[in-house]
Amino acid sequence: MSTIFEEIKACIIDGDDELAVELAEKVIAEKINPVDAVHQGFIKGIEEVGAAWTSGEAFLPDVMMAADAMKAGMDVLEPALANCDKGDASDNKGSIVIGTVKGDIHDIGKNILSALLTAAKFKVYDIGTDQSPENFVKKADEVGAYVLAASALLTTTMKSQKEIVDYLEENNIRDKYYLIVGGGPTSQHWADEIGADGWAETTEEAIKVISNLMVNKPIED
Amino acid sequence: MLPKFDILTNEEVNKIHENTMRILSEIGVEFEFEPAVEVLKKNGQKVDGNRVYFDRDFIEEMIEKAPSQFILHARNPENNLVVGDDSIIFMPGYGAPFIHTVDGERRDATMDDYNKIVKLAGASKNFQMTGGNVVEPTDIPDEIRHLEMSYSHIINSDKCYMGSSTGYERAMDTIKIAGILHGGMDVIKEKPALVCLINSLTPLKYDQRMLGALMAYAETGQAMVIASLVMAGSTGPATMAGALSLQNAEVLAGIVLAQCISPGTPVIYGSTSAITDMSSGALSIGNPEGSLFTSASAQLARFYGVPCRGGGGLTDAKITDGQAGYESMMVLLTTSLTGVHFVMHAAGILQYFMAMSYEKLMMDDEIAGMILRYLKGFDMSSDEKMAFDVIKKVGPGGHFLTQKHTRKNFKEEFFMPALSNRGAFDTWHDEKIEINQAAEKKWQKVLENYKAPELDANVKAKIEQFIEKRKSELI
Repeated sequence: MSTIFEEIKACIIDGDDELAVELAEKVIAEKINPVDAVHQGFIKGIEEVGAAWTSGEAFLPDVMMAADAMKAGMDVLEPALANCDKGDASDNKGSIVIGTVKGDIHDIGKNILSALLTAAKFKVYDIGTDQSPENFVKKADEVGAYVLAASALLTTTMKSQKEIVDYLEENNIRDKYYLIVGGGPTSQHWADEIGADGWAETTEEAIKVISNLMVNKPIED
Repeated sequence: MLPKFDILTNEEVNKIHENTMRILSEIGVEFEFEPAVEVLKKNGQKVDGNRVYFDRDFIEEMIEKAPSQFILHARNPENNLVVGDDSIIFMPGYGAPFIHTVDGERRDATMDDYNKIVKLAGASKNFQMTGGNVVEPTDIPDEIRHLEMSYSHIINSDKCYMGSSTGYERAMDTIKIAGILHGGMDVIKEKPALVCLINSLTPLKYDQRMLGALMAYAETGQAMVIASLVMAGSTGPATMAGALSLQNAEVLAGIVLAQCISPGTPVIYGSTSAITDMSSGALSIGNPEGSLFTSASAQLARFYGVPCRGGGGLTDAKITDGQAGYESMMVLLTTSLTGVHFVMHAAGILQYFMAMSYEKLMMDDEIAGMILRYLKGFDMSSDEKMAFDVIKKVGPGGHFLTQKHTRKNFKEEFFMPALSNRGAFDTWHDEKIEINQAAEKKWQKVLENYKAPELDANVKAKIEQFIEKRKSELI
């Protein structure tokens, strides 16, 4: 039993998404407890990659490919995990909806943060680029997330971040969500100006900001 | 001028060209703007949705149509510029949203910063243009920024400047303003006065905004830089040869489109390709790889027979320090030695294009002056320059300080620093002023003494009238 967990851990570290799917299928076929596979395999692997990245030994391709492999494997295990009564099987720290704002199709920064959040054991729902405020909220409600992360690279699309705040206020749901903003031309000053709940320049800071927000849920509806 | 340094062998240029042709014909490029796709379709290119697959003979035929050099016209004809051939044109940075201050703080850039930077560029003999979008004036509403920026270049200097490339409508506004400045749209159609920056969206895409602007400039006969910034390792392959091929494909696709719209329209082959910092994913521009991309781009532009834009005083440093100095000098020197003609970002840039700094602008002004001197090389055009007679006159064991020959020639031959400290230790030690502080004093003094060249009152009134009218329509 311990061998397959070791294999899963190794394949996450290698960033091998095909092998991750194969091993996840094997977990199901051989009726191995999926919760154990997550804790002793997938999470062990992503933790090691995350730690190596923090210490400067691993680089973005290592982390991002590990996150992809993790996601691929977890997708296979998801139905089995849902049937488990062990509660929070994926051990995740919370859910985040992330996307690039309306009018902007740049996504590298967003993709990097998504991967690093995954490596930090958050559950990330990436809705892609050029996304309206409605889409952020729709996804959040669908998955039960209350943190929205909106990226903008252009000075001309930053105002779409403000439009998310406006949308939340217009619909009287501002206090149901935390909104964090980021991207090249943004700043703490900008975040304050538009009334966002957080801002970060780097991924390390973003993870800290999100972790702090996750401590307290916003007001329940 | 010095001979241009070739970084690639002919065989290597051909290898990049072949790889590029394969990318363009087998993978294709996406144009997110229907009219642009239509133009290419009409010209017989294979289209699938927004994706265009290019025919290689067609690419070569269209690139042939682009001029190898052209003249960019300034409101003061003395400041007209040849773009191409042996020319090299320096100007301040483009598009930074932030100012980094002398004490290492960051703030949003404003219109006041914009005007000051244009004036500093106007004042410097090392900058042949005042640039464009020298910072993002964040205190001006987005809808009318392009109008205010054009106005700043026109009233604060009489050098050439750049127009807007944020969509067809705004591009056209700035072209019309240039038209008023030069006496009519028909005048500037014959004598291009405006140049803009068209960027691809790497990998292998052009967005609607940029394509709209490209069409406005091509229709009105204005010049444009068509540039690609491949971030090797993230938006492009991590191999230098792969990233260069990707860049080349994007730039050629843009040039082909411009030539389809208006054959012979002046275009500049642009590159700002560099690498990704693989820990953070950030762009990194002050490095040997960036210099290699710039050098190879100059050579590729020569191969295709069009002028080249690339490089600059580029750095990832956050303040005007040693790192800012050595990185900027490396990139600007290699930019200049390899035959880049049009150097945006020559001055002021910090932190991979995110910020401008007044102190850095002054340091880069000095670097630009040093490089321009270096490029002049040795003057051996006369017996006087060979100096045999004066060597004979002084003979063994004498000195040259009191020779007329020396007095006459040293100012022509030596670069005179405006910022560098060449003094002795004791004098320096009294105040221990570092370059960052010295540069601050320098720009304040230059601004104090700057007097903008006068603009004809009638023309000024017409431009102001146009701008006011557009403002009322846009806000």
